[in-house]
Amino acid sequence: MVHALDEIRRVLGPTGLLIDIRPLEARWPVEVAAGSGMVEVGRLTDLPIAIADDEAASQAMREAESRGWFVRLQEQEFPFFYYWDTPSEMKEFMDSEWDGFEKLEDGVFEAVKSAWAVANADARLRIRVKMLISRWAKDRMDIPYENRE
Amino acid sequence: MTLQKDPEGNEKKYLHQFGDFKNKRVLEVGCGEGRLTWKYASASMLTVGVDSDRTALRVARADSPADLRKQVHFTGASARNLPFAKETFDLAILSWSL
Repeated sequence: MVHALDEIRRVLGPTGLLIDIRPLEARWPVEVAAGSGMVEVGRLTDLPIAIADDEAASQAMREAESRGWFVRLQEQEFPFFYYWDTPSEMKEFMDSEWDGFEKLEDGVFEAVKSAWAVANADARLRIRVKMLISRWAKDRMDIPYENRE
Repeated sequence: MTLQKDPEGNEKKYLHQFGDFKNKRVLEVGCGEGRLTWKYASASMLTVGVDSDRTALRVARADSPADLRKQVHFTGASARNLPFAKETFDLAILSWSL
């Protein structure tokens, strides 16, 4: 990861900017959402591979910063939602796309099905992914940051 | 399957708050099938998406709108060895890829 950041630094111009946008592991909430409102019914379980990837990415950015390659200008967390019409569709997606990274425990899946069954007809399932977006300047001490846009 | 990703448009909203793409040469690392690419590419002067997943890149190319084909390109490459000269881009995006 650090090598990739060095490569990005190489191909960026002297006033170049880097935007890093990625999910953060945070036991993402599973919610039933309807026009009448939203209820959280449980949380996913972060598996060790996902936690390790997350930490490695953060460590790589810290290292790039400590080496003076990039300077952090701004960061923000925001939610990114995945929606499904039914619990089985949500489970199918998780088993095929997130296997080994995130786990929908049996107890949470049962709670999802129960909550969805009694919700309004327009109810959907959603997972609230915690996202981080950050903006970094290629480090050039002779150029004020306000002139890098 | 009826999967919907980010129908609220939060990702696009924050991406444009954090980056000014107008007349910029943009490199997107880990572009995959181009899901994020199409949320900013039309504003850029040039966008190059790179990914090591050639299958995903085929999808990205197939989905390229005709009016953006001259300014958006996709290349198979590893982020550890980018096939570009130094100082080629104004803005780089790490797209769910670090």
